[in-house]
Amino acid sequence: MGVKYTLDELIVYRAAQEIKDGEMLVIGQGIPMAAGVLAQATHAPNIVIVTEAGIVGLKPFKVPLHIADTSCTRGYTYGCDMVDVFTTILNHEYVDVAFLGVGQIDRYGNVNSSYIGDMDNFDIRLMGAGGAPEFVGYAKRTVFTMRGGEFVEKLDYFTSPGYIRGGTTRYESGMPAGSGPSILITQEAVFKFDPLTKEMYLAGLHPGVTVEQVKKKVPWELKVADKLEMTQLPTEEALGLIRRYAPEISMGRKLQLEALINQVFRVLAGPPKG
Amino acid sequence: MEKYINPDKLMTMKDAVQKFVHDGDSFVFANCLTGMPLAAIHEVIRSGKKGMMVFQQGGMEEIDLLVEAGSVDRIALAYNFRAGGKRITTPLDRAIKDGRVKVEEFTNFTLVSMMKAGAMGYPFIPVLSGIRETDVVKRHGFFGDNKFGEVEDPFSKQKVLVVKGHNPDFALMHVQRADKAGNGQLWGAMINSKWAALAAKKIILTAEKIVDSSIIQSSPHLTIAPAHKVCAVVECPWGAHPSELAGHYDYDMVFRALFLGSNGTAASMKGWMDEWIYNLPDRAAYIKHYTDKFGVELLDKLRAKPFLSAPADYGFTFTQEWDENNYSAKFGMTMDQFVKHLEEKGVLIESAGEEK
Repeated sequence: MGVKYTLDELIVYRAAQEIKDGEMLVIGQGIPMAAGVLAQATHAPNIVIVTEAGIVGLKPFKVPLHIADTSCTRGYTYGCDMVDVFTTILNHEYVDVAFLGVGQIDRYGNVNSSYIGDMDNFDIRLMGAGGAPEFVGYAKRTVFTMRGGEFVEKLDYFTSPGYIRGGTTRYESGMPAGSGPSILITQEAVFKFDPLTKEMYLAGLHPGVTVEQVKKKVPWELKVADKLEMTQLPTEEALGLIRRYAPEISMGRKLQLEALINQVFRVLAGPPKG
Repeated sequence: MEKYINPDKLMTMKDAVQKFVHDGDSFVFANCLTGMPLAAIHEVIRSGKKGMMVFQQGGMEEIDLLVEAGSVDRIALAYNFRAGGKRITTPLDRAIKDGRVKVEEFTNFTLVSMMKAGAMGYPFIPVLSGIRETDVVKRHGFFGDNKFGEVEDPFSKQKVLVVKGHNPDFALMHVQRADKAGNGQLWGAMINSKWAALAAKKIILTAEKIVDSSIIQSSPHLTIAPAHKVCAVVECPWGAHPSELAGHYDYDMVFRALFLGSNGTAASMKGWMDEWIYNLPDRAAYIKHYTDKFGVELLDKLRAKPFLSAPADYGFTFTQEWDENNYSAKFGMTMDQFVKHLEEKGVLIESAGEEK
């Protein structure tokens, strides 16, 4: 009997594999935090999890709603502030991996998390830059996850710097040598970046997905690795951990919203009588 | 900056806002995401103040409320939560499209750096230059040329990206506890709190609990809003609901969903704001309305269980120079010998005139 998993669980499991024991991670809410929790509970017990709220060495209790909520502030080891995280930690290159959810991405791993459509007449105003530009700019590696976002030739708004125009342009514009996005995990596939040109290429497929399906969503001539990795399925142990810590991530955004709305209706019906 | 030295600044939220908030002011939240001063925000909205500018690091509901009420027309913004996809518009979306509000985009770090420079009294401060090619840096809105600059490092001759220091007219800040002089103590995620509070010209402080000054004096490391910057202190239990506050309560996701569900149109927002802001005089009435409507159990579920910090021991021997026999081990003399010594050395000055 095979395992039964959701797409979000697969992405979390794959993202967790990017974390090595002993690394320092900057993570935000959602899929990245679930990946951090999973890695910490399995193969990487000695990671140091940091959020830009000034919380260092947290042991996630559950997947938080945001990077500063009270589930993050029990039992961390260094309480500093946002200035400290971006300067004394990030600017000194202590951060090994940053995780970021993506709205729009181009072939060099530059990212938009601000506006879909022209800024002055947008279709959607996304949540905005937050800490992403500096984290993607200064972490040694960045792991992108994309759920429902899109590949574009040109970003509608350039929020966070990947490899800029490819080659060495990232480093010429002032970011640390050797730093940069390392992987993008989408609902279909895994992408990496060419070590010289810094152009994104298809590196692996999730089970049941074809190269053609992936190419259809990419507006440029996508390069494909000679040997494609097949995304490993989450283990029963991993699924158990994800569901315990992060049921809302297992559900995905749509089902989560639906469950929440149903609960609101129950609450609006008023306190139980009698 | 004006110094606030009144030892008792306790007042009602209404008085605090009437006295210290003015049309056209600029302000900043000295909390970010967590412990948001929502009771104070509701009072600012009720007061009908208009045309303000706000620095917002990262938020959930407060920006939507303030733009819907017309309280603010300019926002310096790094991050603002939104739920849902393309089909859903938020009050902020609609206000931008209608031209009722202008947004200037920043990153979390560049926004908090503007506060840090302002707090330190510096005209500008370096930020992480690697973001210089992004649209956050390159595109300007209402800040114009005051958004980002580049200066030459006089030592390395490299170009350094900088932001300007700002001193907003006031900060709104919610904390766990304060004394009535306004020494505000906050713990948990500190984010931007210190820099936003210290950048502002004055702090309107709300606290879950007003405590005796002796509590503050035994834990001064927790004081983040120093009394000399605080113009008003308001005791306000549940002052950050529906956001969370360490040691007091969790966030209220069901209530938040109710708010987000009302976000979609001006009419539904008006219904929500009438019910939860305009038709209620203060936070006590808001909490009563909540428990009347949903039952007290829903509120009780949010209450925090304790997780106490180990106390920091500020102890010492608590002896002065003179021991119980009026003897100083350091100088090897008693108080009497000490006075005699001063006499002998000729440093004591005798008063010349007679007593009048």
